[in-house]
Amino acid sequence: MIEKYNLLASDFQRDAPKELMLLSIISQSFFQPFSLEDNLLVILTALTSGSGVGFNRAMLFLKDGDRLRGEMWLGPRTPEEAGYIWEVLSTPGIGYVEIIEHNRALISKNENTLSHRIKSLVFTMDETSCALMPACAACNKEIYLVRDASNDPMVDAKFRELIQVDEFLCIPLIARDEVFGEIILDNAFTRVPISPGDIKLASLCGLIASNYIYSTTLHKRLLDAEKMAAMGEMAMFVTHQLRNPLVTIGGFTDQLLHPDGVPDGRRERNLKIIRDEIQRLENIVYQMGHFLRVSLKEPAYFEPGPVIDSVLESPEVRTKGLGYNLSVKVEPCLPRVLCDPTSFGEILRNLLDNAFDATPPGGTVTLRAYKKNKTSFVLSVRDTGRGISNRDKDQLFRPFFTTKEKGMGLGLPFIKRVMDNCGGQIEIQSRTGRGALFRLIFQSREEGKQP
Amino acid sequence: MKKILIVEDEKTLALLYEEELSKAGYAVTAVYDADAALEEIAKKTFDLIITDIRMPGKNGIELITQIMGLRKDIPIIINSAYQSYKEDFMTWAADAYVVKSASLDELKLKIKELIGD
Repeated sequence: MIEKYNLLASDFQRDAPKELMLLSIISQSFFQPFSLEDNLLVILTALTSGSGVGFNRAMLFLKDGDRLRGEMWLGPRTPEEAGYIWEVLSTPGIGYVEIIEHNRALISKNENTLSHRIKSLVFTMDETSCALMPACAACNKEIYLVRDASNDPMVDAKFRELIQVDEFLCIPLIARDEVFGEIILDNAFTRVPISPGDIKLASLCGLIASNYIYSTTLHKRLLDAEKMAAMGEMAMFVTHQLRNPLVTIGGFTDQLLHPDGVPDGRRERNLKIIRDEIQRLENIVYQMGHFLRVSLKEPAYFEPGPVIDSVLESPEVRTKGLGYNLSVKVEPCLPRVLCDPTSFGEILRNLLDNAFDATPPGGTVTLRAYKKNKTSFVLSVRDTGRGISNRDKDQLFRPFFTTKEKGMGLGLPFIKRVMDNCGGQIEIQSRTGRGALFRLIFQSREEGKQP
Repeated sequence: MKKILIVEDEKTLALLYEEELSKAGYAVTAVYDADAALEEIAKKTFDLIITDIRMPGKNGIELITQIMGLRKDIPIIINSAYQSYKEDFMTWAADAYVVKSASLDELKLKIKELIGD
């Protein structure tokens, strides 16, 4: 017999070992789309909630360059508040999501008190600070239990005044030998002494937290690197795009300025070339600005018919379509389509533009718009042009990839952005020399029906 | 008269090179893509080939690789808007690498160095 279990075991029995409860709370939170701050809050929650280790308060410092900066402080401010919070948190059936929600509210409520106070606390990790608690733990990568803070000269005076307890535990956050911060725990209200068992569990939490911060940092670095790579590609493309017209302008201007001069007919020709290239530069600058700036609007249901008509009647499409067979097959009763109408129009214009560019004069470009089924609508453009090679297919949606002599390579990336934004799909069928078919599938609904 | 083949997909730029290098005393043929270049090479003998890298269809590096297979003796100058292709070791097979510039002096100098006037 085979039994199936969910990946996330949700509720443990109340009598489950608290270590298990704790690990369950933390590991489950990592499956949620929480931010770094929220997940750190989860770890602090696990350390302070009754079903976790059960410390009264947890304080988090994060390393920022060579400084240790106070980030969050979770816990009640007064014994009364503590009583209330623990009552809420020990309500039977309360899950970790509720606990986190509660703590998020608590953190924002305490923004002006506990967390605010800790945020003003910064320790430079130099020799002076590292000799004193709490920075000492992070500097030395050791766990320290302070038992008598009021009388211990090794405790930083400002920190002693802030925390106002005698006993606290300092856990450094370390992953791959790199320090990411420190957690400080105390029992300010119950005054229960911190036991070796508590320390073991708390250090386990610290380990999980450090690895979590480490992987989040890596992920962020990766994203930054990807962004940089994209920027590099863009810079390279712009260089090329700008350099060619500049060389042309420079060269033909030099001819005009040459002491021998140029034959009469060529004078005007050179000036025309220079003017055209300047226009091209202007267009490049415009398109770059447009692509970088365009922020997409929220998709909404609209009637696609009038938008399609207005694109087909626009002067650009009509001029470009001269000399081609443009066959339009638009169904009379179209459903309402989910997209932003302006982007929808631009998508169609782009697709037609590409189709005309790829097709030799006299070729056929076919536009179709039809209802695919009750919930989807198809807009397709087929051409009889040179087709797309398999090698190019992989790169079609990469910004700045183009097979056109004067293309920018921004049309298809724009289409992809819009389709992603409205939950649509793109299908491409093409073989070299056999034309191409671009089929865009949008979400749609029948006239008058609510989603 | 020394014969030069120019491979440049930007037609106005090809025209500029054609005029300027003719004025400098070379017999110039300009084509707009790699396939046309290979056709010309099969038909005629050239003393020098100048090629762009980023072109529709086959790029300049692929073109150089194919030319090396056919005629190892023709000197090649790469003329690209991109400095960074110099890092692609396949471009090292060329005899010179000139980044496109509004002044054609460097290009003319390299031509002179390779094949004389």
